[in-house]
Amino acid sequence: MKETIFYVITFNSIHHAIKGEKILIDKGLNVRTIPTPREISTSCGLSIKFYEYNINKIKTFFCSKELDIEGVYRITKGINGKEATRLEI
Amino acid sequence: MGTKLDARGQDCPKPVIMTKKALEEIKEGFVICIVDNEVAKENLTKLAKSLSHDYDVKKNSDKEFHITIIKGKEKIEELEISTPNTFKDMTIVFGSDKMGKGSDELGELLMKGFIYALTESFPYPSSLIFLNSGVRLTIEGSNTLDDLKKLEAQGIKILSCGACLDFYKVAEKLVVGEVSNMYNILEEIKNANNTLMI
Repeated sequence: MKETIFYVITFNSIHHAIKGEKILIDKGLNVRTIPTPREISTSCGLSIKFYEYNINKIKTFFCSKELDIEGVYRITKGINGKEATRLEI
Repeated sequence: MGTKLDARGQDCPKPVIMTKKALEEIKEGFVICIVDNEVAKENLTKLAKSLSHDYDVKKNSDKEFHITIIKGKEKIEELEISTPNTFKDMTIVFGSDKMGKGSDELGELLMKGFIYALTESFPYPSSLIFLNSGVRLTIEGSNTLDDLKKLEAQGIKILSCGACLDFYKVAEKLVVGEVSNMYNILEEIKNANNTLMI
């Protein structure tokens, strides 16, 4: 059984999650909105999921002033369920 | 898109030959082979290893094993950790490509989120039926295709209403699941213990 790692960006508003997805997809990045994993407690139910290989390209986006980003988390999915770690951005 | 093979009742080495052939026919994607014994299962995992393909084994019962072999590197990250495959006798009917009433934009997002959540929640429903504008979810360009393909690979039956595909003139764009008619759909609904209308 292997572990899967992915990342999510959470927002303080669903509108920002929608806008964020559009911006990143327009940049040609492989991202998508997903329901925010239960392991992260936030007020907004949608977050943007991406994989490690895109992290450097997406990093600049973390500091974007246009969007109200709540946080970025690493999600590790293994046999015992999911674990979320908040990243320093 | 994946190829699905049912090699139950086939003697060794037929399942391996069938799977190998199916893998050769595709450039990238997955082949899922259903077999009914341990030996055939072992032979298929050996085949995957020998070809250096990623694979996944689901045991549904002592007489039913689903072996998924993935060809091509890009798909590996999408094959997320799997939990033993269990099904609930349940049909979900998607009567629209949007979830709930209100904003269309939000309805689409909620639907996308719902289908994503389906891939992560066990047990899986046994079948998904797409009707009316719901068929927009199973055709080219739909943003839920990856998730639906994942569900299909796990053995969930996916049916799209043929009349609806025809009405929206998208029949040739269907990429996941099968075309069905109202009789099959009715049977599916009647035979399931539970039917959920979305």
